[in-house]
Parts: sequence; C-alpha cells; structure tokens
Amino acid sequence: MHKSVSHAPFSTSVMEMTKISLVAALYVVVTAWLAVFSFGAIQLRLSEMFNYLALYNKRYVFAITAGVVIANFMSPTWMLDVPIGGTATFLVLIFCRLVTKRIKNEPMKIAVTAIIFAVSMFTVAGQLAIVLDLPFFYTWLTVGLGELLSMTVGGILIYFVGKKIDLSR
Amino acid sequence: MNNMMIIGQYVPGNSIIHRLDPRTKITVIFFFVVFVFFANSFWSYALLTVFAAVSVIASRVPVRYIAKGLTPIWFLIVFTFLLHLIVTKEGQVAFEIFSWKIYTGGIAQGIAISMRFFLLIVVTSLLTLTTTPIEITDAIEEMLAPLKKVKFPVHELALMMSISLRFIPTLMQETDKISKAQASRGVDFRTGPLKERIKAVVPLLVPLFVSAFKRAEELAMAMEARGYQGGEGRSKLRELRIGKIDVLIYILFICVVAGLFLLRS
Repeated sequence: MHKSVSHAPFSTSVMEMTKISLVAALYVVVTAWLAVFSFGAIQLRLSEMFNYLALYNKRYVFAITAGVVIANFMSPTWMLDVPIGGTATFLVLIFCRLVTKRIKNEPMKIAVTAIIFAVSMFTVAGQLAIVLDLPFFYTWLTVGLGELLSMTVGGILIYFVGKKIDLSR
Repeated sequence: MNNMMIIGQYVPGNSIIHRLDPRTKITVIFFFVVFVFFANSFWSYALLTVFAAVSVIASRVPVRYIAKGLTPIWFLIVFTFLLHLIVTKEGQVAFEIFSWKIYTGGIAQGIAISMRFFLLIVVTSLLTLTTTPIEITDAIEEMLAPLKKVKFPVHELALMMSISLRFIPTLMQETDKISKAQASRGVDFRTGPLKERIKAVVPLLVPLFVSAFKRAEELAMAMEARGYQGGEGRSKLRELRIGKIDVLIYILFICVVAGLFLLRS
C-alpha cells in the first residue's frame, strides 16, 4: 500500500512544504488523539516519537517544530509553550541531527536522541521554575525522567514503523 | 471521534474582542504576560485582575469556556500554593498545623504566585477563544514580515501552518476510522501490558503515515497544476487592518501598565 505513491517530478519546494504540513498535522492529531498513554501512575506521550523523524530527513525538523507550535496553542499556557516549546524543539532536533550524524547503528541513534531530549527538559523545568516558582533541579529531574520514558517507548514505536515504511523519503 | 479537540478552542462571536485585529490581541497579551511578573502588591494584582475581568466580559465568551481552560491546571495552582505555604519561612507565624508552622510570607507568596498563574491563563485563553487559527496564522505572517529581509521564509511558514490546520480534522477522522477498523479486529489500545499496547499502535501509525504522505503528494500535485508560485506578488484573501478600536485598546493597555508601575510597592 505504501508504495502506491506516484513519483512525478513536481517542484521539490512545494512537495517539501506539503509533506512538512501534513506531518505537522499528523503530530497534532497524535498529540490530541493519543494524548496520553497511561499505565497507572505512569503517563507516556506518544507524540514524542515524532522527534525521531528528524533523524531520517531534515524536513521533519520543520514539520515537528510546526506541529509543536500548533499543538501548544491548545495548551492553557500557550503564551509560554508556543515560543519556548517551538524554539527548544527546533534547536534540540538540529542538535540531535548533528550528534547522531556519524552514528550508523539505528537503535544507538534512537538512544542518543532520547537522552538528548531528556536532558533538554531544562527548558520546561525553567518555565515551571519561573512561572510557578518550583525548585529548578528537582523539576528538571522529574520532567527529564518522564521525557526519557516517553522517548524510550516512542523510540521503540518509530523503530517498528520505520521497518514498515521508508520515513526518509 | 474526539470532539473535545478543537484547535485553539475558538468560540464564534462578534464581540469587541472578536473584532480586534489579531496582531493587537497577540501584542497586548504578550506584554500582559511580561508585565504580570512586575506585579508585587495587592493593588497591582487588583488592577491586573480588573483588566482581565473586563476583557473576559467584553469578549462575551461564556465563563464555562474559560473555566474549561483552567480545569487541567487547577491542580498545579493548588499544588504551588501549598508548596509555598510549606517552604517559605518569611514573616511571622500565622498558625500551626500538626506542629508545622505556616508563615505570613508563605501565605502571601502562595497567593501571589497562584494569582499570577491564574491571570496568565485567563488572559492568554482569550486569544485562542476569540480568534480563529487562520487569523492567528495571518497575524504571525504579518508580524514576522520584517524577517523577509533576511530571507526568512515567512510566507511559506504561514502557508504550511494553514495547510496543517486544514488537514488536522481530516487526519483526525482518518485516525478514528483506522482505530475503529483495528478495534473491530480485536485490537485493544487502552488496556493490557505495555508491550502489547505498543504492538497495537504500530498498525494504526503505519497507515496514518502512508495516508499523510499520499495526501501531501496529491496536494503538491494540485498546487503545481494551479500554478502556485509562492510569496512575492500574491494577493491575499483576508487582509488585516488596524482600526480605531485597536488604537484605543493599545492606549488603554498603556494606561494599565502605567498604573501597574504606580501601584507597585
């Protein structure tokens, strides 16, 4: 089924734009529809798996950033989440691409990306520390661990999805 | 179908806030978020509360929609308040609970932080409650226009946001359809061990990705066929205009900010 797509020589920029837009829309749908995958007290955000797409093609850096921006507009704290979440996602995705460029082993790439994202949660911790005056390091630790868990499950998912369809095209 | 998911939670209306230029709303709300951190006395918080209340009344958005936006963060507000009660040890001892001393400084700090967060949520909700996502996209495009000088693809960015917004409901329906088809074959997304549930999600995600790529290629084909050429020289379906009412709102807001600094302790 996935090979049915035509390969007509349409302008790359228009094609790139529409692919970025549709993946951004898909990000929002997964964020909203599969918002939380809960296991008792543990809650996982499946949309985190989209972060790995940036490893397959750089267009996804823009797609995921756009998706994060749109999805964050649904948040009650969008005024902080949209600019901080959008910028942080964009920069961390670029950083992940740079760091994992030379890694050949796919599970290793996924693991490194998960760790980078977990560490990058200082942005969320900083936001909570500023707005709610919560202790920064403790918040960073808890939010980072939650992110690591979500990214681990997301990594497994995207690994299997990547086996079925060519995500780099 | 997940009807709870309305992007931006727009509530249609024709109030003064609805009719404001979206750039005015974004600018005023942005500076409100900045200046709320400058409030440090009872009267400065009172002024910002009055501003927020008047804005909500003027928007004619039913209070239940505002309250809905607050639902997911009530816990956070209460938690923050309690945390400050326990941690802050400034001022005099107000009372004791189970030999734990609660200080007046802790109560004041807890109320101030909770109030700040409450005001942030209420005022920022007004943008998404009174502005359509497309209007927000148009406003972002206009506000980022100076970046065109440094070759930043502002038009393309706005177009991509618009396309995404257009396709979110379509992909939502598709997700619903695929998940129901999977469920009818006995797939359970909501219960069972982690491994099984991860396995169950893969057959849902694969067709979704395939469908998104297919739609993207079809859309590119349609755009090319209609001679789409991008930014320069394109006319707009919706033109934004700053009117008298926008200017009035800017003046009113400047007065509120001036009042805030006068009322700071």
